[in-house]
Amino acid sequence: MSLPFIVSLVIIAALLLWPDSGLVARWRQARVRAARVRREDALKHVLKCEVNGELPTLNSVAGALHIRDGAAADLIADMEAHGLISIGEGRIRLRQPGRELALHIVRAHRLWESYLAEQTGVAEAKWHQLAERKEHQLSPEDADALAARLGNPLHDPHGDTIPAAGADLPADTGRPFSTAPLDTPVLIAHIEDEPEAVYRQIQALGLRPGMKACIFAKEDGCIRFWADGREHNLTPILANNLAYVPLVGTTREDLFDEEFLSELHPGERARMLGLSAACRGAERRRLLDLGFVPGTMIEVELVSPSGDPIAYRVRGTVIALRREQARLIRIGNRETIPTEAVAS
Amino acid sequence: MASIQTGVAAVSATDIIENARRLRRETAADVHEVLVEAIYADAARIADRAVARPGRPARPTLDRTLDRILTSRVWGFPIMLLLFALMFWLTIIGSNVPSGMIADQLVGRLWPVLRELATSLGLPWWLKGLLVDGVYLSTAWVISVMLPPMAIFFPLFTLLEDFGYLPRVAFNLDRAFKQVGAHGKQSMSLMMGFGCNAAGVVATRIIDSPRERLLAILTNNFSLCNGRWPTQILIATIFIGSLVPAQWAGLVSAGAVTAVALLGIGFTLAVSWALSRTVLRGEVSAFSLELPPYRPPRFWQTLYTSLIDRTIFVLWRAIVFAVPAGAVIWLSANLNVGGVSLAQYLMHYADPVGVLLGLNGVILLAYIIAIPANEIVIPTVLMLTVLVTGSQGIGEGAGVMFELDSLDATRSLLEAGGWTLLTAVNLMLFSLLHNPCSTTIYTIYKETGSAKWTAVATLLPLALGFAVTFAVATVWRWAS
Repeated sequence: MSLPFIVSLVIIAALLLWPDSGLVARWRQARVRAARVRREDALKHVLKCEVNGELPTLNSVAGALHIRDGAAADLIADMEAHGLISIGEGRIRLRQPGRELALHIVRAHRLWESYLAEQTGVAEAKWHQLAERKEHQLSPEDADALAARLGNPLHDPHGDTIPAAGADLPADTGRPFSTAPLDTPVLIAHIEDEPEAVYRQIQALGLRPGMKACIFAKEDGCIRFWADGREHNLTPILANNLAYVPLVGTTREDLFDEEFLSELHPGERARMLGLSAACRGAERRRLLDLGFVPGTMIEVELVSPSGDPIAYRVRGTVIALRREQARLIRIGNRETIPTEAVAS
Repeated sequence: MASIQTGVAAVSATDIIENARRLRRETAADVHEVLVEAIYADAARIADRAVARPGRPARPTLDRTLDRILTSRVWGFPIMLLLFALMFWLTIIGSNVPSGMIADQLVGRLWPVLRELATSLGLPWWLKGLLVDGVYLSTAWVISVMLPPMAIFFPLFTLLEDFGYLPRVAFNLDRAFKQVGAHGKQSMSLMMGFGCNAAGVVATRIIDSPRERLLAILTNNFSLCNGRWPTQILIATIFIGSLVPAQWAGLVSAGAVTAVALLGIGFTLAVSWALSRTVLRGEVSAFSLELPPYRPPRFWQTLYTSLIDRTIFVLWRAIVFAVPAGAVIWLSANLNVGGVSLAQYLMHYADPVGVLLGLNGVILLAYIIAIPANEIVIPTVLMLTVLVTGSQGIGEGAGVMFELDSLDATRSLLEAGGWTLLTAVNLMLFSLLHNPCSTTIYTIYKETGSAKWTAVATLLPLALGFAVTFAVATVWRWAS
């Protein structure tokens, strides 16, 4: 055998077999990691079933994790062997270590989504997917530090409760939006972020938890409702990914009469009433910083040559906003500015 | 269990904590935001009560009139174009004389003196060549070509900024930038990029959302910077202006340069659009643009700060990179392997690629070794062309950059180097679409703090340049 041949053989062997960083070692680490991720995802599924009064089964585990039934059976057996779950009378139950781990994963997931929503510019459609990965990487200490940094939020951007460290997970709030009563304003409490394609459609409509909505017509294959000064349409399938809670003190007329800054014409002024629930995080704080505060008088100052953006006069300064931003600012007491006031 | 004795009942600490938790859960989810709003509203109410506003309009009417004109449907865009055209015209015309003067001093006088000094000190020929002909000459060149335009353009730009006009430009142009997923303020860094891309990259700091800022940084190189205008003007005058009768030559060559600059703006928008639909996908976050009141610019202060902050800052970075590049340029032409210089070897290998792109090996090599500043590309091209063609009596020797006084001499040298109209057109395109200069690359790295995005900002325009010149060359050859 020639020397170069031996040398390349040694190099290849080293690349493959080097402890910790060789290909074989890495492949093995990746397998261990993947197994842990599968286990944690399965625990999360069992926990969610438990708090919502559903029965976790082998099939539901397989469905939630997108794995074959055989693999799910192996997984369940493995979790039982590790003391995470118990199987008695054909039911899967969480044991204490399993419950704690599952709670941590849910908490980490929702905290990370809150972080992405509040403090980064990451596109909304990506939040869930990124959090699905990150939840397995955060330790309980990381999660606590993150929670402290975010001001211990109670809800994630989809409206789900973030369980406190060590606390139990409450059941999901709200009922399917498609079952909401006609002509009665309700509060959108939760938007389900899976499957992603559906979530993307809902998000594109500008719907957010915390918004008031009122269904005014249920037709074949179409639910028509009013929210944030606009009409929206959803198919019942999509609408079931929204959950609502009843709303007291708001009438149908209140909701339909809501006006937004984007409707204000040049030569008019109005009093700002509030910011839409769809406006949040950095965007909300920025608008408040600029003086878009409830009670402020706003008037149209300039319209750009192409019609958008429009500059508004707020508290003596002139701020240009795009149409999408102006649509988030609720106004009232709309009136025409007397001409002498404009002239002086 | 620890308990607190009160007059009414014993309440344990755990009860209190549990109670607090329950209350917190029951409070509305947006309590945080409600509180913030309440604080703002309170502050506003107190201010309204305490601050007296005399009975005059909040904004002077002159401001309003100016705003109505500068952002009007009819006058907004023409005024904008006129102002920027004026600014470029002043820069190009105004910098000719001082550039010549600095070049006279640094290259015409000091350079021979340094050469003699080096000889009298008894330095070996290679050290003398490396230091005086390489390092010193490239630095002198960068200073004389770069300093005057920047010292004119930046103060003019800062004056407009100080006056309050630039936010109105962003206001007028925001629609176009919105449609490609970018921020209206990108128009300001884009304009700045016409002065210098490194300064344009720094100017993106005014964009407060990270995604839009990154878009502005990645596309700033498509603004034709001051260092590239002379190349464009020279090549357009020699090769494109000469296509038409003499009385139209000036107009046609100016039109060709403007077309390249506009093409750059087109690429800015197109690339922003493509990026914000692929790797930088996401909604436009929090757009807001303050239109401050107009105010008379503070002339001297503006002059001082723009010289210190922008001109000297950029010039210093350029010099830092010009020093090693001068050495590399000289070495490449003087290091011989088997009787042939390194530069000739490299050009030989680059030539097939260059020809495929409608360029040649000289141009490709010049763009590689003249990476510190676009200003020294043409001197390097001329030096390398002499090296390749073996022309006698032109230039100052191997590795020494030079420029020719007459356009005809430049033309005949370039034609001897095999240049055609296609070479000229593609050089103009490649000058627009290639990697940013090393000063800009370094600035991008400083601003983004990411090697990945720096690499994208560097390679993306280069890839576009290859694609566009290749397409033009292919179509050209097929058509002719």
